[in-house]
Amino acid sequence: MNPNEFDVIIIGGGITGAGTQRDCAMRGLRTLLIERSDIATGATGRNHGLLHSGARYAVNDPESAEECIRENMILRTIAAHCIDETEGLFITLPEDDLAYQQNFVESCRKAGIGAEIIDPDLARRLEPSVNPELIGAVKVPDGSVDPFRLCAANMLDAKLHGGQVRLHTEVTGFIREGDTIKGVHTRNRQTGEEADFYAPVTVNACGIWGQHMAELAGVRIGMFPAKGALLIFAHRVNNMVINRCRKPSNADILVPGDTVCVIGTTSTRIPFEECDHVAVTPDEVDLLITEGAKLAPSLSSTRILRAYAGVRPLVSADDDPSGRNISRGIVCLDHESRDGLKGFVTITGGKLMTYRLMAEIATDTVCRKLGVDKPCTTATTPLPGSEERSYEAVAQKIWEAPSTAQKAAASRMGTRASRIRTGDRRDDALICECEEVSVGEINAAIERMDVSTLTDLRRRTRVGMGTCQGEFCACRAAGLLAKAHGCVERERKDLADFLQERWKGNFPIGWGDTLREAEYTQWVYKHVLGL
Amino acid sequence: MKFDSVIMGGGLAGMVAGISLQQEGKSTAVISTGQSCLHFFSGSFESLAEPSPRVAELFSQAGIRLHYQKGVRLMPLGSFQESALALEDIDIFPTPQFSRRTLIVNFMGYHDFFSSFLAEGLEKQGIQCRIRFINLPELEPTEMARGEMRPVQIARTMDRIWEKAVQEIRLLLKDEDTVILPQVFGLQDISVPSRIRQALPARVVFAGTMPPSIPGIRTQMLLKKRYQLLGGTFLMGDEAVRAHIHDGVVHSIVTKNLDSHYLEGDSFILATGGLFSKGLKSNPFQIFEPVMGLDVEYAEDRNTWYNPSFAEKQPYMDYGVKTDENLHPFLEGRSVTNLYAIGSLLGNTRPELGSGAGLAINSAFAAVDEILRSAQHDKED
Amino acid sequence: MKLQEYTTSKHNFEECMKCTVCTAYCPVLQVNPLYPGPKQAGPDGERLRLKDPYFFNYALKYCLNCKRCEVACPSGVKVADLIQGARIKYDHRPPKLRDQILASTDFMGSLARPFAPIVNGVTGLGITKTVLDATLKIDHRRTFPKYSGRSFEGWLKRRTKEQAAFPEQVAYFHGCYVNYNYPQLGKDLVKVLNALGIGVQLLEKEKCCGIAMITNGMSAQATKHAKHNVGVLAKAVEKGLKIVTTSSTCTLTMRDEYPNLLGVDNSAVRDSLLMATRLIYEKLEKGAVLKFRADYHKKIAYHTPCHLEKLGWGVFSERLLKMIPGVEFTLLDSNCCGISGTYGFKKENYEASQNIGAPLFEQIRAVNPDVVACDCETCKWQIEMSTGYPVMNPISILAEALE
Repeated sequence: MNPNEFDVIIIGGGITGAGTQRDCAMRGLRTLLIERSDIATGATGRNHGLLHSGARYAVNDPESAEECIRENMILRTIAAHCIDETEGLFITLPEDDLAYQQNFVESCRKAGIGAEIIDPDLARRLEPSVNPELIGAVKVPDGSVDPFRLCAANMLDAKLHGGQVRLHTEVTGFIREGDTIKGVHTRNRQTGEEADFYAPVTVNACGIWGQHMAELAGVRIGMFPAKGALLIFAHRVNNMVINRCRKPSNADILVPGDTVCVIGTTSTRIPFEECDHVAVTPDEVDLLITEGAKLAPSLSSTRILRAYAGVRPLVSADDDPSGRNISRGIVCLDHESRDGLKGFVTITGGKLMTYRLMAEIATDTVCRKLGVDKPCTTATTPLPGSEERSYEAVAQKIWEAPSTAQKAAASRMGTRASRIRTGDRRDDALICECEEVSVGEINAAIERMDVSTLTDLRRRTRVGMGTCQGEFCACRAAGLLAKAHGCVERERKDLADFLQERWKGNFPIGWGDTLREAEYTQWVYKHVLGL
Repeated sequence: MKFDSVIMGGGLAGMVAGISLQQEGKSTAVISTGQSCLHFFSGSFESLAEPSPRVAELFSQAGIRLHYQKGVRLMPLGSFQESALALEDIDIFPTPQFSRRTLIVNFMGYHDFFSSFLAEGLEKQGIQCRIRFINLPELEPTEMARGEMRPVQIARTMDRIWEKAVQEIRLLLKDEDTVILPQVFGLQDISVPSRIRQALPARVVFAGTMPPSIPGIRTQMLLKKRYQLLGGTFLMGDEAVRAHIHDGVVHSIVTKNLDSHYLEGDSFILATGGLFSKGLKSNPFQIFEPVMGLDVEYAEDRNTWYNPSFAEKQPYMDYGVKTDENLHPFLEGRSVTNLYAIGSLLGNTRPELGSGAGLAINSAFAAVDEILRSAQHDKED
Repeated sequence: MKLQEYTTSKHNFEECMKCTVCTAYCPVLQVNPLYPGPKQAGPDGERLRLKDPYFFNYALKYCLNCKRCEVACPSGVKVADLIQGARIKYDHRPPKLRDQILASTDFMGSLARPFAPIVNGVTGLGITKTVLDATLKIDHRRTFPKYSGRSFEGWLKRRTKEQAAFPEQVAYFHGCYVNYNYPQLGKDLVKVLNALGIGVQLLEKEKCCGIAMITNGMSAQATKHAKHNVGVLAKAVEKGLKIVTTSSTCTLTMRDEYPNLLGVDNSAVRDSLLMATRLIYEKLEKGAVLKFRADYHKKIAYHTPCHLEKLGWGVFSERLLKMIPGVEFTLLDSNCCGISGTYGFKKENYEASQNIGAPLFEQIRAVNPDVVACDCETCKWQIEMSTGYPVMNPISILAEALE
């Protein structure tokens, strides 16, 4: 058997690709996933991290709403360590039309979403940060989901089922024989190494970059890049998701996630050339703060940690300039029936919430092509790490008296936290103090989770995601990475790249304490450490 | 309370001004909002390109020995930067090729000293490096406090057991001409670095760690001690919150702790630092001086405050309080005649005074001279 | 309103720049590896606790509440408030009997005072100490503060008329220590203030400031005391009186801990509550005169208590002492003595407590003064027990030096 031959090649290491690889691998296929950068670098890691109840879509897009609530309930059972079951509120402010609430609740019920009108007083008690001027509130089963963790867990499970993953590897072209895609040419972006891989089916799961990938394969998909900007606040202001109970609009969702909370989003059509380097504009920042403060007034004086933007992979259906009325439905294209190109499937559209369903649809298509008849089991099999529902239980089971870092590790890794080397004071030493990440947890990530850069490490462990934005931990973690990879020179550059990447998210909101921290970081790295 | 001069800010600029004025027989108070930026001091006095007897004398009287030599110093991540004036325990080399073979010694489990980066940087200069770790049981309690294997905690232990560390290093040393150690020696006992140098049969170079900086903390401690010995009043943990200013003259300032008990003075020195120290503050609309609302030089459009590249010079670092030739700041376009702005608060508005530690010292001396001159002038009147 | 004009959250923990200066000045961290340190326990921990109270760490109890982290913080973060606030919010375990006993300073005082000779005799006995150590985990190596047979309140009440005759009046919050253990300090204060033409009144009925309750997990009781005391103080303020104190900890508690930790509004009285040293200094600055003995000679080493350092008022004590002719004055380095109220009395903290104080004790021995001056009663116990040098409140030294 040629080691470069697989049953299916999946291009794209976002949640759709990772989910598809997991599903394919669980159905017994030999899988290879190729990602040009790191996991969750596209839209997967650049959204709210909202575990939609579907309520947001209930009025305008009942089909999406139904998908959401079904997947919401599934993810709670299969991805417990990636999910925070916060519940959510849809609030009506004095400037909103309270009549919308009735229509909203009825639509929710029709879609199967448990939406309950509650007294504004109760809402204020349940979520003390909520705008106290609210005149109506509906409670829904929203939650928050950590997309990095979810993506990594899917990929890990695929690997546990024999799958292979190649990160930082770019598809440079397709191996085509007549009307059939037989495989891909690739190039490792870090080492420059080129390699060809073969499979009877290749899945294009590249999100907004899927259009380009399809072009490379010789087919055309019309996609619609819609930029969404978001702000991360430095601590968790709210413990429940807060939405506006009105027609979906800008900056009307505030989601708590791990130690922070996120307000978003905006929607602006951008040209394709911008997809690789979307920037948050000052106008977007102002809008997010102004609208965000209407949901939770304390945001107006809470330190902002970062600004970032993602690009939604919407498939264009009409020429709506905002992109908001486009169905966020799942699009699975079998290019054999659509374009006469065999061995090539595109899975796109959809959303983080429905990734599993998208993966199931894509995998069904792949299996049909390969003549494999195995049922999908991803809806009932917990992801690795999610065998327990609560991280308290996990931590208590692994350690008799868990330290703060061990509790934090359990909350990030679920039951996989048991793989962290611990007990030795050297392994227990803290690298990231803001987020309580230990040497042991970092080494576990380096050893098992395909980490080649500090930014990769951040996505898997939260190193550098705290308020110091990596000022102290980056250097320490760089030492560990240099040791693991045996290359200091590469690590030196990696450290500079990491700081640049952090700064990119800081300067659009560079004032107050964020600017103080930035000045300090500049001072430390330039004048004290000499990077 | 009444003083000749009230100094707001207990960093390098404020301490140099305070000590100089006390030496001239003036009564002063220094208000310090917590510990100062000297805690992050690299040990090299930037932009002081000429040897200055005045600086050397002030520091040596405080028990801080400096040395002057144009050359380069070794940075903690293995690069070299130009330096001329530095604390005694910071080596300045004529060229980066200061050794043929070097032993780099680190402590087991210590992540704030970047031995592998140092080695890689030195090897680029043709210096052969060997990294070894020592394991001292005395550091165990520090390690057990998982987040606290940090410079200050190690330095406290080393003040007690540095001789033991030296013994271990002796055993490791082979044919190397140089030993590089982390700067975690001589926090309270300032004689330790030079005693280590005497005790080892190779050149000893202390390389920096992640801040806080031990030489920096020691410098702060000694300057404060000297200031207090000269009779200065050091108000630690207090903060100037506003000033009473009439007709372009400051009469008194209000502090957070002393509230209704104003601090009066003939002259006032504002040495409250830059953005990090909150000498300047910022919000999305402006950069401002929070104590007195002095005029600040900055660009109004916040999008021009930054360079999107982290590695480039950042425009916001240039912003500072506007001053006239005698370092009197402006309030609504009018200079405040008994107030002086010194140190990082000036940003890069007075490039002729230097930057960093150089700016702090140069501007402090300039303000002190001006205060003494005008006091003399008043007397003659 | 301009959004983001200010970015200061409750307890301003986001102003933390992670510079770790607080950890360099934390006395506990130097001696107790079980303590996570002020940065971890304070601003870092707060973000995690906001995520989930599960992240509350019971090792926060090792915090002395000395506030040195706050004094050292270059960013003005209220680190100690964050830590004590978290203990109040998340630690719901009932306090141990021992902690309840140690915390109830006024209740214990009022019980013990009538039987002072017996109590003092008994608590001084080796056997009692052994029993207390074994049963309550109060360390047997501790010397107990003596109880006075007669309360200060009673003494001053008998002089109400005489005091009312002075042209100027202040109210005195004497605290438990002066009332039950050491009335002499109160008498010294009366002597000094009288010499300035100021009469001293009692408050209507003060209660213990409550600091020991706050640090021993009895915040509900502490809040009751706080509300009561603010009411009593307000009555004095309404009469146009300033309230003076001789204890830096009581002062800090009533000025800062009431609003910051207990949420008790003291804005009506805060500015009228002063350390007596500040009031006296201000009087002298305005021209009042104290006549000192010509033959007074004393070598004094002054220790600034942590809480006075936090208040920022050590300068008044320092200047008053320097004013006395014949005083040879040394300012001791800024260090914690290690006792921190009831902290050092607990068996589990004894070693840490003595280790924390070691640098201070060493310096005192090196200076070899006639007397150590200090404005805090628990520092006094600790320094006297650990060094053998007598400790006096600056007010008592002033009284002694008066003509």
